[in-house]
Parts: sequence; structure tokens; C-alpha cells
Amino acid sequence: MAAAAAALRRLSASCCSALTPPPLFLRPPTYPSTVSHIRKWKQWAKTLTPSVGSSFAALDNGPDATLLCRELNWLLDDVVVHQQDDTSLLPILDHPRQDDSQPVYLRASLDDLCLMWNQRIHQRRPFQYIVGCQHWRDLVLCVQEGVLIPRPETELIVDLVSDVIREHSDLKDGVWADLGTGSGALAIGIGRILANGGKVVATDLSPAAAAVASYNVQRYNLQDKIEIRQGSWFEPLKDCQQKLAGLVSNPPYIPSHHIAGLQAEVGMHEPRLALDGGSEGMDYLLHLCNEAASMLKPGGFFAFETNGKEHCQLLADYLSNGLKGSFSEIKIVSDFADIPRFVTGFRSVPK
Amino acid sequence: MSSSFCSKSLVALSRPLYSLTLTVPKSFPSPALSFSVNRPGGVIPIFSAAPTRRLLCNRGFICGGGSVWKSVISGYATAAGVNSGDDADGSQSDVDYLRMPEEKLMSQCEIDTFKSSGPGGQHRNKRETAVRIRHLPTGIVAQAAEDRSQHMNRESAIARLRTLLALKVRKRVDLESYSPPQELLQILPAKSTIRGADCGPQIGPKNPKFALGMQALLDLMYAVDGSVSEAAKYLGLSTGAVSRLILSDDSLRAAVNQIRSSKGIKPLK
Repeated sequence: MAAAAAALRRLSASCCSALTPPPLFLRPPTYPSTVSHIRKWKQWAKTLTPSVGSSFAALDNGPDATLLCRELNWLLDDVVVHQQDDTSLLPILDHPRQDDSQPVYLRASLDDLCLMWNQRIHQRRPFQYIVGCQHWRDLVLCVQEGVLIPRPETELIVDLVSDVIREHSDLKDGVWADLGTGSGALAIGIGRILANGGKVVATDLSPAAAAVASYNVQRYNLQDKIEIRQGSWFEPLKDCQQKLAGLVSNPPYIPSHHIAGLQAEVGMHEPRLALDGGSEGMDYLLHLCNEAASMLKPGGFFAFETNGKEHCQLLADYLSNGLKGSFSEIKIVSDFADIPRFVTGFRSVPK
Repeated sequence: MSSSFCSKSLVALSRPLYSLTLTVPKSFPSPALSFSVNRPGGVIPIFSAAPTRRLLCNRGFICGGGSVWKSVISGYATAAGVNSGDDADGSQSDVDYLRMPEEKLMSQCEIDTFKSSGPGGQHRNKRETAVRIRHLPTGIVAQAAEDRSQHMNRESAIARLRTLLALKVRKRVDLESYSPPQELLQILPAKSTIRGADCGPQIGPKNPKFALGMQALLDLMYAVDGSVSEAAKYLGLSTGAVSRLILSDDSLRAAVNQIRSSKGIKPLK
């Protein structure tokens, strides 16, 4: 334990000084510009999107021009320093006014912005990697290449946990684990709803992910509540056997043969380690289920994200029949698009 | 159950509902529920659902269980002025959606989010985070798409729903014994003669509490048939000051003008 703590301190010390490059919204506003210059830049950026039209969407279900324009606004939102009264400059950009020459400060030069937007359009680099963050629930999580961008579907796991700890208040004070934490999204979302005595231990095999997760944990000042440990699945959790109050994971679950056909933003830019779930996509989900019984305390809760209906059914069947007696109240929960997405349940309590 | 409020609110909704039939099988909550509206001209089915259909609460999905169905039913029944047979909540004849805790309000709502054309999850990087909320008892729909997370879009849509409820659902006001409620006093300018010092600074349209004051002001405007000078008397303000207050918010102005045009009075500009 002491060794693990020391390792964590080293990890924290090495990563929390800064991410390189830092996320756009955290860079200092050192580039003077004017409203009219930014407006001109935005006009230029917009001229790149009509050529896209719906071609990305047709090719691989990628973003269409409408979504790209929305991303353009979000990019400016992160880069333009807001006026003192905290009103956004964005509406002014679309409606010419007299005060076009007023000075504005940017967190990146207009040349850098051109580079970024070209990467977005021509290389299909994910918007979240360009700005270095993803808005997820009420959090702003820093992300960079090498770390999975947290998805909106996964937001729901925090709600599921929130419902569970409201009904089973003893779980509020226990130790929770988030395996394959990536940016630390689930660990932070859950860390914020646990009681003072509650803790989250989050693991990830990727050093890049562990570093980014630690950075995000520090940004939300949760380092006393959330511990990031680098390692594969349950390996760094040897001290938690039979002790976990809860276990959540969004493991890689895409079947290997689907990886080649993924939307370019995902397949070409996000880490394969975080996506590829083996031939049927079930390799890690099954591993999680197999180990869950020995990690969770009786009455402990688990929630896993899956590839969809087929995975959910297979897992629910495996948990109730293959691992008969280990778990109770096994449920399949759908996501916002009504696709069966999560499998949840409790470790059985011995009679 | 008194229906005075209900008939008023439903007139304002431009969807006259006269009575409601709930077909609830004996084996409730399964196998199926259906809701229909009886009105002159025929019976219109408005809602029918098998219990497997999921209703989304603000905290996530809730499978068709008893409490959700009950609140949906009582919400519909309240709106239609019939008794749902569920008196656990007491009388809801003067139901106040704005004061409802979020969870209760959302239990009367259906939430739609993006309809994914693919498998979703890890397969996809598309910020389709738009959220649409339909308030079943009133049919009011609020949506939000401009935020960067689904969670925040949901918050925005709920805030918008509350504003729309304030604008569209009218409560009956008894002018004989009328005294403006605290939330209305709080949005009045300091010079109002009936506004005590304990009201604090004037609340403006950007404050979330403005919706409650706006609702109370619209209830009064509705009671005085859209007359600004008449309303001014109840508020301890000059006619000009009340006009300025109404014109300070576009949606408030539009709602007042709707009341005025229904009474044949020219709109405020």
C-alpha cells in the first residue's frame, strides 16, 4: 500500500504540472486581436464546411456541416476571452456592430486557429483533441491523444450510481472502483456524489490515460478522494478484494473486425487500446464479470457499459446462469437513444 | 376536484381538452395503458404505452413502474380536471408546476434525446446532445441543443420548460382579496409603494427566479383582462413603470400581448 501510494505520488508529480500542450481554455490569453479580425477568421473557417456538407456523414457516419459549425462556435468559445461582464462575444461575431475595433484577447493566435481548423476538416482530428477538453455532464474534462474521449452515453452510469446510493446509503461510504478510467470521467462523476467517507480507486493500463485522469482529478480537487493507479483491470486492486462497494467500467467493447470501419475521428485518432474488445468485443466485459464476484463485497453494486443489445443479453445471461448465485437484481438499462447499453446488478448477499 | 383552474389553463393552451379516459387494465401496470381525450367531435387517443416503454426521469431511465405511471396519470387527470383516483398527493386542483421539485416535474415529462442512426457508444464521436422535454399534462415542449454536454442541455431544457410553463399556464386570481405574492414583489422596481424593504434588490430577467415572478404577473394581467393601468394599481406602480417592466423581457412582452390581443386591446411596444 505504501509503495502504491508512493507510486501514485510520483505519477501525480510527473503529470499534474501540466499537460502538453495545455487545453485551449486553460492557456493564457496573450494574443491581442479585434472583433473584426475574429469575424473574418470565422467567415474563412465557415467556408471550409460547405465542402464537407454531408459527405463525412455518408462516408462513415461522421459529422455534417451543421455539427461542424456548432463546433466552430465552441472552438471560439474556448479561445476568445470573454468580456468583463461575462457575456459571450459569440453573438457579436454574427451581428456587426460599431465597436468592431475593440481589443479582444485570444488564447491562441489566429494562425494557430487556422491550423487547428484545417486539422479538424482535412485530417478529421476530433474536436475534443483540438481544444483539449470534453464537456461531460457538468464537468469539463481535459483530454488528449492517447485517451478515449468520454461519450455522452456514459454520463448515465453516474445517474445509475446516484440512484443506487440513494437507496443503499451504506454504499455511499465505501470504496468504488472505475476500471479503464481513461480521462477519469466516471471516477470524478462518482467521487463527487459519494459521502465524505467514500473513495474511488480508478485504474488504467495506459500511462497516458493515468496521467490525464490524475490531472483531471486534481483540477476538481478530488485527489484525497480519488486514487489513480496504473495497471491492468483488477491487478492494481489486490488490496480491495471483497471490499468494493461498487464497480463501474466502460471497457473496450468494439469487436475487432469493426475497428476498420469506424468513423475517422474515432478509428484514426482514438487509442485502439480503449476501443478494441477482441473478436466479439466481449473479452474485457467477460473478464470484468468473472472477477467482479471476488472483488465486490456482498451487496456491492456494478454497472458496465456494453456495445448494445446483444452484449447486454449475453452478459445478463452469463451473470445469472454462468455465474449462478453470485449476483442478484441483474438488469439491462438502455441509453438515451433507447439502445440497451448497460448491465447492472448487485453481488449476492449470502443467506 | 375543482376544475376552474384546469379549464383556464387549458384554454390558454389552445388545445381544449374536455375529459380524459384512462384505460387501466386490472393487471396494472401491465400489460398496457391507454389514455384518450373525450371532446365534442370524438375520442382522441393521446397516449398509449406498454409498460416496457421507458419513461425518462431527470435522473435517468425508470422502467414503467408504479410511481411513474401514477404521476403521469395524475398529471393528465389534473390537466383534464378529472380525478385520477389517486388522492395520495391531496388535491391538485391548483397545481403549481413551477414550484414542483425538479424530480416531480420531470416525472410528468417525457425526454427525447438524439436518435442515433448507428450503434452509438464508443463507435461514435458526434456531439448529438440535443434534449427535448415534453411536459405531458400541458403538452408544452422545451428543447436545448447548444450546450456541449447532454447533461447541461437537459438543465437548459428544464429551465426553459419552467419559463414556458410560467408563460402559458394561467392560475386564477381573486382580485377582491388580491395581494401580490413575494416572487412578484421581487421583480418589481424599488419605487413600488407596496414593495417592502425585505424584498431585496430587484430580480431581473436573467435570474432564474424571474420565471416565478413573471408567472404571477401574467396571472394578474390575465385577471385584469390585459389592462396595464389596472394592474399598476395592484402593484403600487405607475402605468409607465409596469409597461417598462413588461417590455424588459421579450417573452413576457409577447405573453402579455397575447392576453391583450385576445381582449381586443392593442399590443404594447
